[in-house]
Formats: sequence, C-alpha cells, structure tokens
Amino acid sequence: MPASTADFDYQAALLACAAGERAALQQLYEQEGARLLGVVMRIVRDQALAEDIVHDACVNIWTRAASFNPALGSARGWIYSVARNLALNAVRDARREITVDDDTATALDAQASLEAWQDMADAFAWQASAGRIGPCLERLEPVRRNCILHAYVDGLSHSEIARRLEAPLGTVKAWIKRSLAALRECLS
Amino acid sequence: MSPAAHRAIPPETHELAGEYVLGTLSAAARREVEARLDNDAVLRAAVLAWEERLLPLAGLADPLSPSPRLWQRIERSLNARPQATTPRATNWWRGWDTLALWRSLAAGGLATAALLAVVLAGRLAEAPPATRFMVVLVAPDDRAPGWVVQASSPQRVELIPLATIEVPADKTLQFWTKADDWKAPVSLGLVTPGRSLSVPLDALPALQPNQLFELTLEPRGGSPIGKPTGPVRFIGRAVKVM
Repeated sequence: MPASTADFDYQAALLACAAGERAALQQLYEQEGARLLGVVMRIVRDQALAEDIVHDACVNIWTRAASFNPALGSARGWIYSVARNLALNAVRDARREITVDDDTATALDAQASLEAWQDMADAFAWQASAGRIGPCLERLEPVRRNCILHAYVDGLSHSEIARRLEAPLGTVKAWIKRSLAALRECLS
Repeated sequence: MSPAAHRAIPPETHELAGEYVLGTLSAAARREVEARLDNDAVLRAAVLAWEERLLPLAGLADPLSPSPRLWQRIERSLNARPQATTPRATNWWRGWDTLALWRSLAAGGLATAALLAVVLAGRLAEAPPATRFMVVLVAPDDRAPGWVVQASSPQRVELIPLATIEVPADKTLQFWTKADDWKAPVSLGLVTPGRSLSVPLDALPALQPNQLFELTLEPRGGSPIGKPTGPVRFIGRAVKVM
C-alpha cells in the first residue's frame, strides 16, 4: 500500500536512484506506479501503451536521476514531468493535426458568441484534489476551468478541446492563454 | 530560483512554458521547446514553475494498478543497460557491433517503438506497396525520433525528416550505413536538416534486415577520412516490413 504523498521522501528516493540503489527505484515504483499509470492512461487511453510509457519513464527516472536538481523543483514534480512528457509526445506525434494559425482561427470565430459557454457545468470533480491551485481554479469560469483540465488531465490539444466543448478553436486558444495568465497571477 | 529571477521571465516565455506543461503545443512546437531547454535557463525556470503549479491536477486521474509483470519488465531493462555511457571516442563506430548501445536504445524505447509503429502504419498506408524496409532514426540520448528511412526497393533508400533539427554552421550531417558483415560504415552522402534525401544503393549489396543507418555530425563538406568521426545524432536499424 503506497504511503501518502506527504509521508514519502521522493527526493531521497531520487538521490538514491542517482547513487545506483535499485531498491529505491522499486520503492518509488510501488509508491507512485499506480498513480503514474493513471495519469498516463488518461492521456494515451490505451493500457498497453500506458504501461510502455510508465516502463520508459521508470528507465528514464533511473538513468536521469542524477540530473534532478532539488534547488529547481520538487522531486515528485520531476517524476511526473518525465512521465507526462513521454505520454504527451506519444499522443502529439501519433495524432498529428492540421493546425490553424491563430489569425485564421480568430477570423473563423469572429461570429461566435462567447456568452453561450459561460453556464457550462464542471467536467471534473476538481475541488477535492486541486490543493493549492484549487482557489485559483475556482476563480475561473467553469468552461475555462474545463479547458485547462481537459488539456492537463486528458492530454487534449486545442482542437480536441474545441470539439469536446463544441466551442470555436480560436476561442478555446484564447481561453487557455488567459486562464494560464490568471492562474499564474493567482498563484504568485 | 529567486523571486527576482522569476520576475525576469518575459510574459511570452511564461505563456510558452505554460502551454508546454499543460500539453497543448503541437508535436513540432513541443520538440522546439525541448530542444531549447538544455541551453535556455529562463525557459527552463518557467517550465519548472509551471510543472510545480499544475502538479496537483495530476491527482484528478484515478490511480490504475499496473499489471504485475510491469516491474519485472522495468528490472529486465535496467539489467540490460550498459554501465558505461554512450561511446563518443574517435573510433566510436567500432562499437557499432556491440550490443550496449542497442540495448540502451531498446531499454528506454518501448513507447517510442509503439508510437513509431503508429507513425509507420500511417506512412505505410501512403507508401507504395513495394516498401520493404523501414528504419527509424532516433537520437541516442533521448530517443526522440528524427528521421525515417524508407526503402521502396533494395537498391534505393529515402531519408525523410520527422523533426527539425539544428546543425552548427561549421558542421554538416552525414548519412552512413553498415550491414552486420561489413567491416566499416559506408557514406550515403551529406544531409540537409529538414530535407528528404533519396540515395541509390547500386554500388552496395542489397539491404539486409538489421542493417544500421545513422547520421553523424561531421566537419563541413563531410568526414575527411571517409568514416564517421563525429558524434552520432540519429541511429537506427532496418526492419523488414510485410
């Protein structure tokens, strides 16, 4: 049974991995493997591929542990960035998209009303897990919050979010851009 | 990073880093950010800050128990890894026949391989039915796929870029191949980043499964000694496709 994330010393585990202690990687895997697989699975939506990515992530964590610098960020954040980046690269490479440049997207959306989406319900039960970012998410309109969560949790691209929300692409891009700025402001 | 240094991050860097960590950038834009991260401390700081900010959202995905064999697979891959780092010595190409580099590529590359199967399937659908060999050339350090080699006949290969890469002004990329029973690699010519290259293999034996292909960084005009002298930028082996 994994310890709570507050009780497990992720930094010590990474430092031990960097020192070549295989048991440390195994402890880290037992602690975080199911959560990592859950995060990767939401993005790639295929369990075999998700397990391949967690495999690759663990190998990367092992080989690159020495490059982790505790002065620059948390050990747990580093571990998740390794796994999420592998997952995102996999889906972005596989689901190549025709991209519409921002100006075209804005022109296409010029007729669209933004009001229609303001009453949208939350697509995620985010309140319990959101931690410090929770109050800042709360300040966003639900539809913008959904954009951020569909991107981060589901790994959806701009155009996939636009399709999911049936909202214009340029609008979705603008919502995400402004929401990121608002979150940064709120968390600073 | 100090608060003062954080304030020095320009808004557009925050924006790019935010979209990168959020995951909304295209494949090409993601690669560009990743290529910049090694040398761009400001962008790196912005990315790290976003990773910390957004990390709590990872808790929204329900945990999923891995199959019992996953840890065994990971252990096997770690056991197969070489102790030494990737060979970079002058005569590094002598190491082509050692398994170490290949094991290290394979160990970290399962997902890459799975993803490439998707890319290849897509490409095969467009390729002429005669395509018989495929090679995916990946970067040795992060295994990012950079090029595909496609052979529509045993006597001609086409090198197709998958990503944009940068080459220093005084250097050039050179394309090499070597089958298992050859003594040394043979040059297939110089390569322009981002451009396809079609190479006749008339003077060479027919392509073989497992034949090595790679791109090395050489002085402008190509290797002066007719053999690779610089670091491997991309490497892969030929796979026969049905």
